[in-house]
Amino acid sequence: MPDQAQSPYLPIPMHVLHAYYESTDHSLKTLELSFDDPQDARDFFAAFNPGQFCLLSVIGKGESALGVASAAWEGDFVRFTAQKLGSVTTALHALKPGDPIGMRGPLGNGFPLEGWKGKNLVIIGGGCAFSTLYALTKHLHHPSNRGDYGKLTVIYGTRTSGLCMYKQDIAAWHQRDDMEVHQAIDVPEQDWLHHVGYVPDVVKEVRPSPVNSVAVVCGPPIMTKFTLPALVELGFSPETIFTSLEKRMKCGLGKCGRCNLGPKYICKDGPVFSLAELNALPADL
Amino acid sequence: MPDIDTLKTEAKRILNEGIVDMVIGFRAGDTLLHPQPAFFKTAADVDELVYNALCQNNLATYLTRFPKSQKIGMLVRGCENRSVNALVFEGQHPREALYLIGVPCEGIVDWRKIVAQTGEEVISVFEQCDNTVLIESKAGYFTLERDTLLHESCARCIHPNPVSADVVIGELLPEGDSALARDKVAAFADLSLEERHAWFRQESERCIRCYACREACPMCYCEECFVDHISPRWTESGTTPAGMQGWHIVRAFHQTGRCTSCGACERACPMDIKMTYLTEKLNDDMRRKYNFEVGLDATTPPPFSTVTLDDKSRFVI
Amino acid sequence: MNLILKKDQLNIVLNAWRQDYEVYAPQSLQNITHFLPLQDGFELALNNAHNTRIPPKALFLPTSEALLKFTRFGGYEQIPSETAPRVIFGVRPCDAHALTMLDTVFEQERYTDPHWQARRDATVIVGLGCHEPCQTGFCTTVGSGPFNHTGLDAILTDLGEIFLVETLTEKGERLFTQLEPSSEDQNTHASQLQQSAADRMPIAFETDGLKQKLDQNFTSPYWEEVSRSCLGCGVCTFLCPTCFCFDIVDEAHRGERVRNWDTCMFRTYSLEASGHNPRPSRVERTRQRLSHKYSYWVDQINQIGCTGCGRCVRYCPVGLDIRAMLRKAHQLPSEVPHA
Repeated sequence: MPDQAQSPYLPIPMHVLHAYYESTDHSLKTLELSFDDPQDARDFFAAFNPGQFCLLSVIGKGESALGVASAAWEGDFVRFTAQKLGSVTTALHALKPGDPIGMRGPLGNGFPLEGWKGKNLVIIGGGCAFSTLYALTKHLHHPSNRGDYGKLTVIYGTRTSGLCMYKQDIAAWHQRDDMEVHQAIDVPEQDWLHHVGYVPDVVKEVRPSPVNSVAVVCGPPIMTKFTLPALVELGFSPETIFTSLEKRMKCGLGKCGRCNLGPKYICKDGPVFSLAELNALPADL
Repeated sequence: MPDIDTLKTEAKRILNEGIVDMVIGFRAGDTLLHPQPAFFKTAADVDELVYNALCQNNLATYLTRFPKSQKIGMLVRGCENRSVNALVFEGQHPREALYLIGVPCEGIVDWRKIVAQTGEEVISVFEQCDNTVLIESKAGYFTLERDTLLHESCARCIHPNPVSADVVIGELLPEGDSALARDKVAAFADLSLEERHAWFRQESERCIRCYACREACPMCYCEECFVDHISPRWTESGTTPAGMQGWHIVRAFHQTGRCTSCGACERACPMDIKMTYLTEKLNDDMRRKYNFEVGLDATTPPPFSTVTLDDKSRFVI
Repeated sequence: MNLILKKDQLNIVLNAWRQDYEVYAPQSLQNITHFLPLQDGFELALNNAHNTRIPPKALFLPTSEALLKFTRFGGYEQIPSETAPRVIFGVRPCDAHALTMLDTVFEQERYTDPHWQARRDATVIVGLGCHEPCQTGFCTTVGSGPFNHTGLDAILTDLGEIFLVETLTEKGERLFTQLEPSSEDQNTHASQLQQSAADRMPIAFETDGLKQKLDQNFTSPYWEEVSRSCLGCGVCTFLCPTCFCFDIVDEAHRGERVRNWDTCMFRTYSLEASGHNPRPSRVERTRQRLSHKYSYWVDQINQIGCTGCGRCVRYCPVGLDIRAMLRKAHQLPSEVPHA
């Protein structure tokens, strides 16, 4: 019987290590998953690059594509934050520590960090799309990575302070001297110390310099729609603006056809694209 | 055969007079045997109108695409008129916003029956006055009896005349013999359980779940079909026997008291699946048990779509 | 190598193959021609002027196929791939050509689909050229042809009483070891037939500049015009030999994760959990289908993603004809380049 090729549809067996709500309204929950097999962990982290995503598998429900929200140096686990929206994410929210779960990944291209070396990074996130930017920021915080990049500016806005993810960690970022962090909420709240306003407006307020800089934007479509032109206006060229896209996914491997944007598959050729690349693709989002 | 010029004149008139914004009919297809449903917006467009026995689609299926406020004209044959009535009853379009040009129908010729006799490479098709169809194909000339080419739903049609059109163009035709429909149902019921099951499996298990039947049917207009539900999951979505059988059974049941026996579902099917025997049985039940035939008018409540205080409520959860 | 197969020998040859392979050939079942496994007493259905109802892609990517089994305690087990040797006999060149395009999807360097790969490796494809090209086919327009070799291990030309067999690969050669070589005359006869068949096919639409026209008119009312009567069913895509899209769904009660054929023509295809749908109507979905075939495939593999088999034309329930849609596309304006 010839050796059977490993199926790329086969999830890696994992277990839930931690599960806790991120948002006060419980719409966002973070899962930290551990690998059943240490070799799987080694293989995963050897291939992993911030900005990549995985397909989390719940038996009987299906799979959901979620951006990886942790950096490799944090440990042999993988963090995801899921918004409860459909049948799979509802099942993810119901998971407790010790529950089995499947994971396929890392998938996609991730952020082109090699090309960003030596540059200032402007990281702009909105809502629950911040997870991979969080992973990126954590990656950059590591001493062996930080020196490769210039100034680090993070702008993160949510509708309300309750919806902000990774609150404790981000609160600590304000104390760091190796980055600038700007948090924002849409409408004023008592005791809120940071910006009030939509992310595109906060970007204009912060005025990050385009000189030797790269900007990466992840947020709900409406936010991205207005943030990208704001960056262009500030002088960022389309080659230096990046975003991460989402579409309905099933295989995550560029085979089932559905997540295409023109000739590119968001799962395989993306999810990270530069604005220059996007401008060459049809507006099919 | 309706006079095409009279049809065109009427279609142009209702457009020119602003009675409707659009007339739904047919135009010549890019392939000979397949005239296409067409949407005429101006009188000039109407010059392209074609209306013949190869026009195999139930045009009422397009009604639910348009806003209810839109004034729409439609050429309707017997079954199509009843489908429109059914849709009007279900609130899918107000009757006042419709202008129906009724055409008594001698039946749709099934292009598959043509090619079965003449070969695929058909060069021309002429319907002749003596109830024959003259066909030239690469294999030669064929004069075929129209009756042998009718789609089976048309061969047993009971109501060829439009029942509530704003105008009828063409000679009214005699009602069909309801025994034809009844006998077909009875003949199937007379088969043994094993034979009926074998037939059901044979037909339904050719299915590739393309849903051409559903899309061709005027009464299948649900924005989310039961097959697309994840939670609860009503039937398997693939081509397992359970999935295919579930699809056919449930779709048929969703047609109870709504199906007008037009046969558009069978004509649309790329796998030539016979499925009208399921809905014909349900239609027969509606006739016998409830004295109801859908769409003969737009106001009689279909028994399975209506609840009244007189209903025995034991089954209501 | 060119060989002669007498028609009255065909069944003998097929039965000989059955010793070592599962042999599929066109047969009629309930009046439809399918590729079915040969069983004792088989009757071939080769006389159709054209191809089977369902393309042979179904023998490599089944309409439904289990990918994984769920095990107790929340685990997953891969379903073993099918590796039994097979011969598919009587494949038309359009369908074989299409299989090579699907290879670029399923056999990528980064992720190979083991189920597709195993079946492809285990299968020999023997083609039957079309000496009487069909009315709805347009293979020569899109870079294929009635005797195109792409994807075939051998191809047969019908010379009347005999077939001329051209073996094209080692796999193909191994099937036809018992036959006599053809004569010069027979080779010439076959060449003439093949050329004449290709010549007799009218060019259905211009392909030069077609991709650009489609790309540059993304928001044109053209898309609404050509999709106006479309029912939004899956006939064209399911019967298409180059279409491959699939859905993955868990069938909990059977304990399997299954993939089923899917189509960009369905509303749910790109419907997102938030309710947003990038392709909310038939207009956008038709744009996707045509653009995928005639533009995006070209970007990806430098070939039009259609081999002109004609099934979509023949079986569309409302008579939509992709050839007419593409002729119309040429009337679209070319984008004026920005200064």
